Amino acid sequence: MDLSEKMVTGRGNFVDDINLPGMLHLAFVRSPYPRARIKGITGGITSRDIDMKMASVGEGASAGFEYLEHPVLAKEYVGYVGQPVAAVYSENAYEAEDLVDTVDVDYEPLTAIVDPEKALSADPMYPGLKSNILADRYLGEDFQVDAPVVIEDHFVNHRIATDPIEPRGIVAAYDGKRLTVWISTQSVHTIKQGFCQVMNLSPDAVRVIQTDTGGAFGLKGGFYPEYVVAAWLAMKEGRPVKWIETRSEHLLASRPGRGVVGRMKLYANREGRILGIKGDVIVDSGAFAGGSGEFSSRFIAMQITGPYEINNAHIHALSVLTNKVPQGPYRGAGRPEAAFFMERMVDKLADELHMDPVDVRMINATREPFKSPTGLTVEASKPFLEQAVKAMDYQGHRKKGNFGFGWFVLVPATMPGETARILVEDRGIKVWLGGTAHGQRHDLFVKSILADELGVDPEIVEWQKGDTDQLKEGVGAWGSRSAMMGGSALVEAARKLREQVEKKYGKYSVSKLLDGKWDSYEYFHYDKPYTSLGANLITVSTDRYGRVRVDECISYYDLGKVLNMDNATGQNAGGCAEGIGQTLYEGLMFDDNGQMITSSIADAGVVKATMVPRYRLILHRSESTLPSKAKGLGEAPTIGTPVALSRAIEVATGLRITETPINPEYLISAVQEP
Amino acid sequence: MMPPAFEYYAPTGVDEVIDLLEKYGDDAKILAGGQSLIPLLKSRITAIPYLISLSGIKDLSYITESSNATRIGAMTVDSDLEYSDTIRKRYPILMDALGKLADPLVRNMGTVGGNISHGDPSNDLPAVMLALKATFVARGRGGNRNIKARDFFLDTFTTALEHDEVLTEISIPVWKEHSGGSYVKFEKGTWNFSVAGSAVQLRLENGAVVEAGIAITSMGPKAMYIPEAEDYLLGKKFHKSVISEAADIVVEKSQPSPDTYGSVEYKKNILKRITMEALENAFRRSGGVK
Ligand SMILES: Cc1cc2nc3c(=O)[nH]c(=O)nc-3n(C[C@H](O)[C@H](O)[C@H](O)COP(=O)(O)OP(=O)(O)OC[C@H]3O[C@@H](n4cnc5c(N)ncnc54)[C@H](O)[C@@H]3O)c2cc1C
Repeated sequence: MDLSEKMVTGRGNFVDDINLPGMLHLAFVRSPYPRARIKGITGGITSRDIDMKMASVGEGASAGFEYLEHPVLAKEYVGYVGQPVAAVYSENAYEAEDLVDTVDVDYEPLTAIVDPEKALSADPMYPGLKSNILADRYLGEDFQVDAPVVIEDHFVNHRIATDPIEPRGIVAAYDGKRLTVWISTQSVHTIKQGFCQVMNLSPDAVRVIQTDTGGAFGLKGGFYPEYVVAAWLAMKEGRPVKWIETRSEHLLASRPGRGVVGRMKLYANREGRILGIKGDVIVDSGAFAGGSGEFSSRFIAMQITGPYEINNAHIHALSVLTNKVPQGPYRGAGRPEAAFFMERMVDKLADELHMDPVDVRMINATREPFKSPTGLTVEASKPFLEQAVKAMDYQGHRKKGNFGFGWFVLVPATMPGETARILVEDRGIKVWLGGTAHGQRHDLFVKSILADELGVDPEIVEWQKGDTDQLKEGVGAWGSRSAMMGGSALVEAARKLREQVEKKYGKYSVSKLLDGKWDSYEYFHYDKPYTSLGANLITVSTDRYGRVRVDECISYYDLGKVLNMDNATGQNAGGCAEGIGQTLYEGLMFDDNGQMITSSIADAGVVKATMVPRYRLILHRSESTLPSKAKGLGEAPTIGTPVALSRAIEVATGLRITETPINPEYLISAVQEP
Repeated sequence: MMPPAFEYYAPTGVDEVIDLLEKYGDDAKILAGGQSLIPLLKSRITAIPYLISLSGIKDLSYITESSNATRIGAMTVDSDLEYSDTIRKRYPILMDALGKLADPLVRNMGTVGGNISHGDPSNDLPAVMLALKATFVARGRGGNRNIKARDFFLDTFTTALEHDEVLTEISIPVWKEHSGGSYVKFEKGTWNFSVAGSAVQLRLENGAVVEAGIAITSMGPKAMYIPEAEDYLLGKKFHKSVISEAADIVVEKSQPSPDTYGSVEYKKNILKRITMEALENAFRRSGGVK
């Protein structure tokens, strides 16, 4: 059966489907306060039992300041609603949840720091800190230009729940020597690394096995306190332990993405040439270090100049502490924010000068490869833009009406490369990649690559889920990297295999390969960025209530060599839907006291099937120089959709768009009184 | 997201349901399609030690038509109404509501009786029943009693049903010729529930209104009918200024509260627009728009 079919007909084997004899179920007591001192706890497993701090692993990992490290279980204070304070367990999941009420926590609530901009100057959250600023860096150099046109604006991308259909989950078991965990993840290796670091286990003593993973979007590359408690309990009791996150826990306490403010100032001449950009990027990092919040302000600031040749740029990258769950990577992870800030400014410039937005973009596109003052490298973007405009029929759309255009540089997370292993045995082929697919169907491109490289029937190629015992090293599936890095590792591993067969028999043939037993492992190292370009054009209609309907989403992306077309169209459709979600519906909102007011999946705004448009993916094929010849894709639509859609809405309503999700109350102001 | 422990009964007759409700008092509650009650239990907003399911009672699911009424068994699921020829022919207003009520999965489980008995001001069917001037049949220890829809909804999650009464039937009068209705719902973002819903049912003679039912959803502590707007419409023919003024009266009587989905002002703005749309549809469907 096809993998997708299996997943959607209930025949997947997800972590919650694992039931081991004697298994215990874990549940968490979580802070109801955004900020409080803990005066006492009675009952449950607490920090007295597990006095450990979280390590930072996975996408955007960074070393935290010691006193800002996230404790596995809260000790003296809590910094966000949903923070794990204690754990309870039972042989039955229902009873475990009942036991949550038996733990008594005595809190002394404190005034929460909620708004990231106000947090910059608020009293420090923790004693010993000088301010709430967690990361503070300038990119580019300060400059002075004589610009006849100066445009300023303020942007907000609110926080977004990652909301995979399958929330987080783990089963941990211990046989006295070795810890084995089954987990829903983007990388078995980061999970293993997390256990080794936090629990001080030797690498031989940990095995991590991936279960079918029902979506992740960045969340499941990270390592979380609940996992440590599950493992600790399994080791202490000598019994398997299961923890499955509920949707409510997910919305409250799973690391969300976005949550970024941009304050931009653009300098230009009257012909539309951009002379420079200044601004602040402020990331709402949440209450502890070690999330991606700390590092993403810098990553966003680096990308601000986009596909443009802008010779002056000076961006203040700030990550600030707030009493919210630490920010994490969400599909795009810094890339959509940068594009949103820049593309919105360029549209504003076009409006100010009464120029066509694409004309302004054309004037500022680069003819040559360009390295921007913030450190972003782009290829010659002008030829790409010319072709994009033609392929998407920009001129035709101009005559028809409500549409928006946006383009961007995609910076995939190439570093430090990726691993792959091919095992040929019993006339079958098994493949492991260091980055484990969690819904993208890596099995499809794995088959395509081996059919190409080894001439084998794709039917006999079986993609395997992650298992640290089967693949000794690996990085992870995130940051638009798998076809590029995982694909290249696989190509190299296949070539090695071919060589082995040639060496033994003088000549390669499929039958010789399949007659034998072969094992080929490759770590494809890569330590440079490898960017590519993309563009989106979106058409919308609006109704008498100010509601926006997205009619068509056209993507024009440079994917290099397309390894598998179903992979590409699937990634494009899902990413566009998420881009629409961000723009129109998705946001985790908080009241002034720091309580979340979007506490159900519907309030958090995930788009429904009835809300998605027609998709069209047009390929700009310029092969990469990597062994797989692929370029990045996964995050592209989440970058291009919000910018093109915001512009389309601006054109349709005449309202300036600076915030996502766009408030419906704002949109209705554009429609006539009934 | 796991309910606290409860005991589950599925008796085969209404009398046994009443027995159990009397026996366990406030610790017991009726379970119909579970689409409102189970989420409340799973999120532990409420705990109910004894659930008495109506699913074992065979004769509570039916749609029967007579010349002056349509009778619907309380356990009839929403999707049965949605695919009923009787409902489609007689009550376009109900079809409007069903098409936008939750999603097909919920409609396959959720019951008409549950939708009404829950007393949720955001549920769609109460306003439709108010506009259609339906009557509900409640069965208790002493037998059946009829409760007019207009006397049924008392407050948020509070109805005229006694604790040991079971809603068994919904009876909707047949609206004679030159009548028609419409339900217009403005959904919250990606939710099924509404910012506002507006139900309008009209009957005309020579193009002028002789009977009107107007009620609104999500616009106060309970589903509310608006007699002032109904009275205003009597004798009036379709005109833009008529529907606008009627909608103004509806807005004036509404009691929305602000939340993440909008301010009071915004909600009233939406209500005005959807009420005008529902009025226009209702006039058109009763043949009153030339
Ligand atoms: C995702 C989702 C979206 C939804 N969206 C909408 C929507 O857009 N519009 C809408 O109107 N509804 C919506 N609902 C609610 C849904 O319509 C429910 O089915 C309905 O509110 C309750 O009907 P039920 O049969 O499921 O009742 P239950 O949940 O079983 O019961 C609800 C209450 O009514 C009582 N009760 C039930 N039947 C009787 C009876 N015969 N006599 C006395 N008391 C009784 C129960 O004791 C309980 O208190 C949604 C639900 C979900 C899960």
